[in-house]
Amino acid sequence: MNSEILLRFGFAVVIIFFGVGAYWLINQYLLTRARASVNMLPAPLPKKPTIVYFTTPDCAPCKTVQRPALQKLADLLGEKLHVIEIDASEHPDVARTWGVMSVPTTFLLDEKGTAKYVNNGVVRLEKLMEQVKTL
Amino acid sequence: MTSQTLQKVDHSALKTNQLIIISLNILAFVLNLPILAAVVALTMGLGSLVGKPGFGVVYTRLLKPRGWMKSDVLDDNPEPHRFAQFVGFLFMTVGSAALFLGLALLGWTLVWIVVALAALNAFGGFCVGCAMYYWLVQLKVPGFVKQPPANTFPGMKPKAGAVA
Repeated sequence: MNSEILLRFGFAVVIIFFGVGAYWLINQYLLTRARASVNMLPAPLPKKPTIVYFTTPDCAPCKTVQRPALQKLADLLGEKLHVIEIDASEHPDVARTWGVMSVPTTFLLDEKGTAKYVNNGVVRLEKLMEQVKTL
Repeated sequence: MTSQTLQKVDHSALKTNQLIIISLNILAFVLNLPILAAVVALTMGLGSLVGKPGFGVVYTRLLKPRGWMKSDVLDDNPEPHRFAQFVGFLFMTVGSAALFLGLALLGWTLVWIVVALAALNAFGGFCVGCAMYYWLVQLKVPGFVKQPPANTFPGMKPKAGAVA
C-alpha cells in the first residue's frame, strides 16, 4: 500500500515537473524569438539594459498601470535604463515577430541586447525592478 | 469588440477554486481515491448549477474573512468562467466514471487534464474554458454572446482597469 502511494506520488511529481518544464519552454521560446528579432526594432538598442514595451493607443491598463510603472522605473534608474515603447497597432509585424499576443507585453533586454525576461500582461513596478537588477 | 456591461468578478475566488481542484485531484491520484475525484466532479457540478465557483465557499467563508487571501476584483464576464467550470465538471465526471469502471488510464488522464488546465489558469492567467466560450461566440453559437474585455486576449485574465 505504502509503496503504491510512493510510486503514485513519484508519478505525480514527474507529471508536475513536465508541466512546469513545458511552461518554461514556452517562455524560452518567446525569449528566443525576441532575441532573433532585435534588429526589427524601430530604434537601435543602446548599450544598456532596455525594456521593450508593446502597447496600443486603446489599451486602458497600459495607460493607467503599465506606463506609470515604467515611467517611475525610468525616473528611478535614470540613464541606467532605456525604454522603447512600440505601438503594436502601428507595427503589427514587429509585434507578431516578437510573439506578442496581448498588450501590455514587456521584454527586458540586457546591455548586449539579449532578451532575458518576458512579462505578458501588466507587471508591477516591484517585479520590473527585481528583473532589471539581475540584468 | 462591441460595447457591453462587464461585472465585478473576484478572481481570488476563482483562484481558490482552481487551487483546491488541483490539490484534491493530485491527492486523489496519489492515494488512488476515485471517490475524491468524484467529490470534486460533484462540487464543480453544483457550482455550475448555482453559477459560482464550486469551492468558492472556502474563499468567502474562510480565507477572505481572516485576511489570508485578498480580493482581486476585476471587470470581467462571469459567464465564460461558469462555462469553464462546466467543461471541467464534464471532464471530471467522465474521468470519475471511467475510474469506477476500472478504466484507470482514461480516468486519471482526464483528471490530470483538469489539473493542467486549472494550473494554467491559476498560475498562467489563461482560462482555456473561457477561450472556448469566446470561440463559440465567434461561431455565433446560441447562448454565447459575451465579448472579451477590451485589450484582453480571449481567455486571458483581464488587467486591472480594463473597460468594456
